[in-house]
Amino acid sequence: MRYTVGYTADGRGHDAVCLAVALARRQGASLDLVLVAPERSAYSGSHPSDSGFDDLLSGQLHTWMDQGLALVPEDVPARGEVVRAESDAEGLIRAAEDAGASLIVIGASAAGPGSRYSVGNVARGLLPASPAPGAPAPRSPRRPAPVPRLTCAVGRRAGADDVVSVAVTSARRRGLPLRLVALLALDAGREGAGAGGEAHRRLADAASSLAAGGQVSVETARGTSVEEAIDALAWDEGEVLLVGSSRLAQHMRIFLGSTAARILRALTVPMVVVPRTYESPGTGTGTAALQTQEGV
Amino acid sequence: MSTRRTDREGTGLSRKGLSSGTVGLLGAVVIGVSCVAPAYTLTAALGPTVAEVGTQLPAIFLVGFIPMLLVALGYRELNSAMPDSGTSFTWATRAFGPWIGWMGGWGLIAATVIVLSNLAAVAVDFFYLLLSQLLGNPAIAELTRNLPLNIATTLVFIALACYISYRGMETTKTVQYVLVTFQLVVLAWFAVAAFVHVADGTAFDATSISADWFNPFAVGSFSAFAAGVSLSIFIYWGWDVTLTMNEETTDPERTPGRAGALTVVVIVLVYLAVALATISFAGVGDGDLGAGNPDNQESIFAVLAGPVMGPFAILMSMAVLSSSAASLQSTFVSPARTLLAMGHYRALPEGYGRISPRHKSPGFATVAAALAAAGFYVLTRLVSENALWDTITALGLMICFYYGITALACVWYFRAQAFTSIRNVAFRFLAPLCGGVILLVMFVKTAVDSMDPGYGSGSELFGVGMVFVLGIGVILLGVVLMLVWSRLNPAFFRQEVITRGAASGR
Repeated sequence: MRYTVGYTADGRGHDAVCLAVALARRQGASLDLVLVAPERSAYSGSHPSDSGFDDLLSGQLHTWMDQGLALVPEDVPARGEVVRAESDAEGLIRAAEDAGASLIVIGASAAGPGSRYSVGNVARGLLPASPAPGAPAPRSPRRPAPVPRLTCAVGRRAGADDVVSVAVTSARRRGLPLRLVALLALDAGREGAGAGGEAHRRLADAASSLAAGGQVSVETARGTSVEEAIDALAWDEGEVLLVGSSRLAQHMRIFLGSTAARILRALTVPMVVVPRTYESPGTGTGTAALQTQEGV
Repeated sequence: MSTRRTDREGTGLSRKGLSSGTVGLLGAVVIGVSCVAPAYTLTAALGPTVAEVGTQLPAIFLVGFIPMLLVALGYRELNSAMPDSGTSFTWATRAFGPWIGWMGGWGLIAATVIVLSNLAAVAVDFFYLLLSQLLGNPAIAELTRNLPLNIATTLVFIALACYISYRGMETTKTVQYVLVTFQLVVLAWFAVAAFVHVADGTAFDATSISADWFNPFAVGSFSAFAAGVSLSIFIYWGWDVTLTMNEETTDPERTPGRAGALTVVVIVLVYLAVALATISFAGVGDGDLGAGNPDNQESIFAVLAGPVMGPFAILMSMAVLSSSAASLQSTFVSPARTLLAMGHYRALPEGYGRISPRHKSPGFATVAAALAAAGFYVLTRLVSENALWDTITALGLMICFYYGITALACVWYFRAQAFTSIRNVAFRFLAPLCGGVILLVMFVKTAVDSMDPGYGSGSELFGVGMVFVLGIGVILLGVVLMLVWSRLNPAFFRQEVITRGAASGR
């Protein structure tokens, strides 16, 4: 299993590598550090046209790549790759597709202080078009912590089954406890508590049918807003949250709905956004082991 | 360590090359025309050139191409032998050593910084003109004469272009095709409309075309001739891009040469048509609309487009604005990359050699170029009565300086090969030698003439002509900076980074 990591030689790139390392360790995944360099357009009208800049740039890219690979600890296999593309998002997606990556990790922190997450430009460009789950990395602690637990959050809307099944598969493969959370923002008004009970029941059903015997817990998080509901949850250090993409997304694509965007702002742990109708990491390639798991 | 490195840069490029990346003949011509930016160039240079050579404008436009062609041929040889981000800087350093190399780089940076400030100023003039045409309120066009407002708007334009360039955004193929087509159509429209006025007897100062206009020897004096040629170097500046495009083209053997020839035919036709039309319509007198009137000369289309094109003059404003704005943004790349190369080779503080990790652009150098352009503009605007005119003339001077050095660098670098084949005699020796000598002669002549306070627009500083102050002042500033830096960090000047060299004879 391979993870594509969008690397830039700055704080964000560092965040992305740290998160990718943490996620990859339990999963036995290998990392592809991808540096995207701009494609030189002959039509840019720059004067005089000089191919020489490319030489200086590729020298710099190689130095950056060495620094990036040096961030990855010995026990996680990693390799570097320089991709030419018009935008960072396009380059990362192409690299992920070529490698058959099951996750794209990118740095998403904003330059300024404030919330740990603010979806950066690259993340904003990448997430809507990503064919694989995307993990926007928050500003990292110094050392990547191991992942102690997975949490999967679903809202009131239907269509959460995809993300729940991805969460269950991932948790089982990693041997991690799974927490299923129904997020309820009460400012939405009339549907209120009744809907909460209904969502909780659905999750409980899902939990029992999908993961019999596993360590699965079910919680309901309430708050006057999504942000508050998120704040109300207790988080373990290094825990990872899985959320589904909006129903507005195309098949196999992520659409960061308003709820997911708000979750992202309030969150203090890493998050993975799963594309709509995305089945499960690796099932697209049809390996026998994974199919067996799906069959359970 | 369990890391493996695969570098797919090659495949990334070829993937691009196979799809939309390669440029055919038409594309290369479009790129060439867009680099020349004829609408901007004509509005900026036509007036000052008429002021120097009068009705011999067409002759000078034709003659001015010769040194450009000669130098561009040498430029192409150097580019294929030593492709480098520093271009003139690196080549002159390799050929003549660090001191002349440094000044070659400085000349390129100064020229592009000056043109940046001029481009921004022209864009601002036409921005207000366009606004006034859109809103039907002539008073708005006059806003550009309000000094604080003009300076503020120009600085905003420079900052915007700098930001776009810093972010590494580039003009796309479609945009470039549209911009170029639009410019050419509007310029042709202007020429045809002017001739229609002449034929109808409604021209301002109908002047009949005579063969004399095409005779460069009819120009009054060598001073005027030198000034005219150094200005017309500016109008072809950018054309050499077509010759240096190699791997980008579908047929590297033939496309660049053909594109260069075709581009120059297009450009010369447009320039001649517009030059003839302008003089036929307005004459070279200093009357209200006359091309000889100093008030009209800093931006000829701003004055003439209305009377010539009537209500469609707004198209000319759009053409000049889009042409200068697009050039403003793309021209930022040039000084930034030379500064980057100089920083990289430690000919400047290391910061200039830094590449932005996020945008992969020469961030520091781009901002430095923007600050220099802004500073240059503010200074010129405050001191000179006719800033646009003086900057264009100073720019001609600066281009002659660094192109001259570059051309001679070509001759010297290839000296061992010069006579090994007929091709080398022509392209690596004769052409750059003649081009370089012509340009340096023009440079010296114009520099000496421009000491006269009455030169160019007639602005002066301490009794010396403004053009001299701007042109030679900038070069001297470079000498001072070079000496200071050589004391602070002599590595580059001791040839510890780049050494002098020459192509081996074969």
